[in-house]
Amino acid sequence: MDKVSVRRAKVFENREVAPDVFLLQVEGAFSALPGQFCMLRAWELDPPLFRPMSVFDLGPSTISFLYKVRGRGTGLLSRLSPGDKLTVLGPLGNGWEGAEGRVALVGGGMGIAPLLLAAKAHPQAHVYLGFPGKPYLVERFREVAGKVYVTSETGEGGERGLVSDLFSPQGYSTCFACGPLGMLKAIAKKCREVGVPLYVSLEERMACGLGACLGCTILTVRGPKRVCQDGPVFCAEEVLWDD
Amino acid sequence: MTDLSVAVGGLVLKNPVIAASGTFGFGAEYARLYDVSVLGGICTKGLTLRPRQGNPPPRLWETPCGLLNSIGLENPGVDAFIEEELPRMRQLGTRLIANVWGETPQEYRKLAGRLSRSDVDAVELNLSCPNVPGGKIRGSFPEEVARIVGLCRRVCEKPLWVKLPPEGDVLGSARAAERAGADAITASNTFRALAIDIGRGRPVFAGRIGGLSGPAIKPIALRVVYELSREVDVPVIGCGGIVSWEDAVEFIMAGAHAVQVGTGNFIDPLCIPKLIRGLEDFLAGRGLKDWEGIRGCAH
Repeated sequence: MDKVSVRRAKVFENREVAPDVFLLQVEGAFSALPGQFCMLRAWELDPPLFRPMSVFDLGPSTISFLYKVRGRGTGLLSRLSPGDKLTVLGPLGNGWEGAEGRVALVGGGMGIAPLLLAAKAHPQAHVYLGFPGKPYLVERFREVAGKVYVTSETGEGGERGLVSDLFSPQGYSTCFACGPLGMLKAIAKKCREVGVPLYVSLEERMACGLGACLGCTILTVRGPKRVCQDGPVFCAEEVLWDD
Repeated sequence: MTDLSVAVGGLVLKNPVIAASGTFGFGAEYARLYDVSVLGGICTKGLTLRPRQGNPPPRLWETPCGLLNSIGLENPGVDAFIEEELPRMRQLGTRLIANVWGETPQEYRKLAGRLSRSDVDAVELNLSCPNVPGGKIRGSFPEEVARIVGLCRRVCEKPLWVKLPPEGDVLGSARAAERAGADAITASNTFRALAIDIGRGRPVFAGRIGGLSGPAIKPIALRVVYELSREVDVPVIGCGGIVSWEDAVEFIMAGAHAVQVGTGNFIDPLCIPKLIRGLEDFLAGRGLKDWEGIRGCAH
């Protein structure tokens, strides 16, 4: 199996890019495939678990993560300042190998986080970004992607509506999506109808991140699979969506 | 030269630190991070006669300094374990303890019999899983414990460990296990516990009750070991919220021959190797050769 490391690293920047949404940049030379994630923590015993975060971007001497403050763990992460230390376990998960041909990358809400690395690996890809309100970090995608479409539920800075409503898989050879379950289900339905393969990056609560605890298991047509180790990227047709 | 090794429940371990069942997979998962041959032993994920899918998500819920789980014994079944996982696990260079759960006493007997003929070093009977719907916590009832351990003892030539719940008649159950031929008592499993989603007004887990682990339960688990180790002559293996070498020393001073680390692996994936180094330094710092002068000293 791939090399995984656990190390202490220093915060370079932790910037609020939208209300409660932070871009955390950490110092150090890391590696990760598109779709892989790391487990982060910056506290002692409580909360007990690391927080799994998609890798947003990689530089020669930095790695960054995009996250939204949801509870105690992300709240503690949001209070980190440059120079503070945190622990990074990773890279974890299978990642997304990518595909030939016309590729669409679709992200909703925090689901945009794994798309930047995927876009860098597919410079011709079309990127669909869905935001609940005012969009953020769109320029980062425009710098690397063939084309970027933006939607927002309020209509600010993009087409009004949900990315899953506006996106059509017609004409693409492969799609990759990440976001809330409802969005993924809607996109899976559209892709199935036109026969376009879809890969989805899933999220689940996890304890070890290494495939040992079976806390993040989902059911697939191939039996129970661990989101942290067998995923987080799955072929959408293999996922048994619980309706 | 300090000697960390311990004789516990029919096995000699290179040190008293064992990975607890369900938190360490089949070992290979953590072998990606460090050389797991440093461990005293590894307890496998709980094995059942037939494969089990486990419980629907969510399976994890955090509480202050604690972790509730409701995994539901997801495992490939004992036969697949023996054929596929065990040969790989055998190469990890540490003692292997197969943790098993049976729906009935006869299932425990079958599991113990099959594993007795396999290449594992010991069998740990999980009489205390809180996460199987309708599953009775058999370890809380001394007569049940006596029956199951007796059945398994007859068919199992390997060392037989019995993992008890921290609740119910623990002392009675431990005595019953000892009389029925157990080689060691693991004390204890998680505490039956609950979290409620106040938005839905329902328990967060589909199986309602989960098992609480982590530093939150350490003082209670320590008290259980303290009381048990006075009551039985077989070794007690302490388990519950151990994260640091200091925690492990507390359990040994309470009378434990060895300790199991579970949720500690999630708090720090390098918890076990750090803990073993800490124990080494502790013994050396005290000028002690082994555990004899320390074990049970708090009584």
